[in-house]
Amino acid sequence: MAFYEQHIHEAPKTFLKKYVFSFDHKVIGKQFLWYGIFFLGIGGIMALMIRWALAFPGVAFPVFGNFLFPETGGVIPPDTYSMLFTLHGTIMIFYAITPILIGCFGNFCIPLMIGARDMAFPSANMLSFWIAVLSGAVLLASLFTPLGGAAGGWTSYPTLSTLIGSPGVGQTLWTLAIFILGVSSTMGAINYITTVITLRAPGMGYFDMPLTVWGLWLTAILNAIFLPVLGAGCLLLIFDRVFGTHFFLAGAAATSGNGDPILFQHVFWIFGHPEVYILILPAWGIVSDLLSFFSRKPAFGAKATALSMTSITILSTLVYGHHMFTTSMSPLLTQSFMTLTMTISIPSTVFFFNWLGTIWRGSIRFDSPMLFSLGVVFVFGLGGLTGLYLGTVTTDLYLHDTYFVVGHFHYTMAASVLLGGFAGIYFWMPKMFGVMMNEAIAKVHFWITMLGLNGVFMGMLFVGYGGMHRRLYNPFWYDFLQKLIPINTFITWSAILMGFGQFFFLYNFIHALLKGKKAEDNPWNVGTLEWTIPSPAPNYNFKDIPVVKCGPHELGNPALPEGRDFQYQTEELVKA
Amino acid sequence: MLFFDSAKAATTDLDPVQQMSFWDRIQPPVDISANGHKIMDLFNYTTFMVIFFFILVCIGIFGFSYFYSHKRNKKPYYTYGNKKSHKNVGLAFGMAVFILIDCAITIQSNNDLVNTFFNFPKGEEVVRIQVMAQQWLWNIRYPGADNVFNTDDDVVTINDLRLPIDKKVVVQMTSKDVIHSFYLPNVRQKRDAMPGRLSRIWFELKKTGEFDIACAEMCGTHHYIMKGKMIVYTQDEYDSWVKQANQVALSANDTEDPDLYWGWKWEE
Repeated sequence: MAFYEQHIHEAPKTFLKKYVFSFDHKVIGKQFLWYGIFFLGIGGIMALMIRWALAFPGVAFPVFGNFLFPETGGVIPPDTYSMLFTLHGTIMIFYAITPILIGCFGNFCIPLMIGARDMAFPSANMLSFWIAVLSGAVLLASLFTPLGGAAGGWTSYPTLSTLIGSPGVGQTLWTLAIFILGVSSTMGAINYITTVITLRAPGMGYFDMPLTVWGLWLTAILNAIFLPVLGAGCLLLIFDRVFGTHFFLAGAAATSGNGDPILFQHVFWIFGHPEVYILILPAWGIVSDLLSFFSRKPAFGAKATALSMTSITILSTLVYGHHMFTTSMSPLLTQSFMTLTMTISIPSTVFFFNWLGTIWRGSIRFDSPMLFSLGVVFVFGLGGLTGLYLGTVTTDLYLHDTYFVVGHFHYTMAASVLLGGFAGIYFWMPKMFGVMMNEAIAKVHFWITMLGLNGVFMGMLFVGYGGMHRRLYNPFWYDFLQKLIPINTFITWSAILMGFGQFFFLYNFIHALLKGKKAEDNPWNVGTLEWTIPSPAPNYNFKDIPVVKCGPHELGNPALPEGRDFQYQTEELVKA
Repeated sequence: MLFFDSAKAATTDLDPVQQMSFWDRIQPPVDISANGHKIMDLFNYTTFMVIFFFILVCIGIFGFSYFYSHKRNKKPYYTYGNKKSHKNVGLAFGMAVFILIDCAITIQSNNDLVNTFFNFPKGEEVVRIQVMAQQWLWNIRYPGADNVFNTDDDVVTINDLRLPIDKKVVVQMTSKDVIHSFYLPNVRQKRDAMPGRLSRIWFELKKTGEFDIACAEMCGTHHYIMKGKMIVYTQDEYDSWVKQANQVALSANDTEDPDLYWGWKWEE
């Protein structure tokens, strides 16, 4: 229920105001999209370099290895390897997934889907993007410092991330970049929360919001609460590095007084566990909606899905200790964290059941957004279930810090989020840019990606079970890992296949932008508010603020007149 | 470049493992501990549950996609999923997950944790070891002839841990610089070694031979070469090794060197 009047200003005329320093949520969303895709490319190349080193240790990296590492004849050196996995993690989480899923879809979809003309705070929105650009610049700059970029893992545990373990200025810049990005994301989060609360179209209750908005909203709430915690941790780490404080220093290195490196782990994971839900909640929301739209029937138990996402949001704040089972926490804490972690499986079961219930007895159209959504259900099923091993203390004693963990969190955070993000891009492309993407190429892209990513992440689960631990420059230093070489090689080829598959997306995306088929106003025949306006969405979206009269998933109603199988949210629900 | 040469040597020396099947390859290293099977049993139970529920998900995804595709099913079933029967089926799945997975695993794991893995053995029979990790090696300390740690006669080794079979072993550890993790793949356990803190782990070995000690926590550029050897002896072999090592320590330890005394007073 809009709390206040939303004025329409004239559309900006100059290039600078229209495309660069724009207040328009749609433009800012697209800016975040470019930003995210740029970093996704960098992070992806880093992933391939990591995989190359693991499968072919001591072999020169092809194509540009000689250019990057002339001293070693193209072979990735061990210190660079540490930098690569650190920045791969950082970039993928904070600079690729966050901008695409939260920055792009959050900005683009929230106002359109709730019938608002813009965000509640347009200038904070613009500032949030430009602060993110600043943060990205600082991060990239850290690579060109004398001792290279950060190399302590994306978790950057002290004391490795203090001057004891990483003396270079690169680690300081890395920490600063994360802090700045935290400011940007917090700003965005507050904007999203306020927008959802104050600017919903008249008649739209919370359960009339599409589940995409639910996911993005819950994400924003977690972001607003927990990013400042990470910011505080980063700031303390910067103090330790620059001003000589001892928050996280202990042992022989703590010359005066004692800090505690474990304090950082607590601070980091209080943020870090909600972070994984911050990344996945938007994808869950998108998938929940798309499954319903393309099955041509209402979302099964939509209210229960929204509520189970909410309970996961709450539970996610209480379970972070399962990242620290091997630090000799008190058994009481260990047991409580394990029990709480396990309870997450109940709400997860609820929305899995609802997802499957949505496609049950539907009339399923396998357009590319639907394929990607079904892909998310598949890979998140695997990712979620493998989490059971790691939430259990005793099995975690063996699997902690092995490739099993890597496989698990890539299934949940990388595979699901990537597929969910692609589903969103294929689905909202018409509304964002007014063009359709090529369906045939999109399907090739889907199957190659699906094949590649399952090869990679399933392989990681297997080598992890075989005992291979993480972040090894050359795992075959250990005798008991010798037998895993062929599987590692297989993982690398799968990764190369998956990387290759993304060229189909790039070609499709650029081709659509340049000379794609012009999109209709409502190509997918769905009734949420963004499809009631022309494609691409016009300045200030809605000429008249819409009045919402029914839910977002009104599809397949038998009482509808012949020739229509959906109704817009602005229409009175047709009753039999 | 030394590292790269040895890396190549490692990858070409494949002969004994070249004929392995996929199944053999993914098996964890041989379990040499008395309690490692508890972890593996729970792992296997979880795996059965995971496979069972994942098959259900797959039946949903692929079965429904097949039977309810637009081609086969023109008229979708218009429902919000709020009928009594829908809720009951959902509830049944929730309960199945709660009982078969949550309760079963949590109870089993809690019991193992309290009764075994965190139930540290005490008394004179226990073999006591102190470990101090540093970049990138393991300092290992035995109490020596007087059975007291941090004294002149301690046996101090690097990356060389020798233990007797069938004895309970308690290792206390800390770190000099950054966080490391004392990982014994053959024992199915690991524990973080942290600067400024003591952590501990216990296990009992059931097989003699030579095994790897690995560092599982990222600890810097050469994290991957932080490898120690654990040699498991029979009781007789161990006793004679300890006797010999104690003598060597008495004569070889440089008692003027403050670096020798990195140990601490043992507290149960």
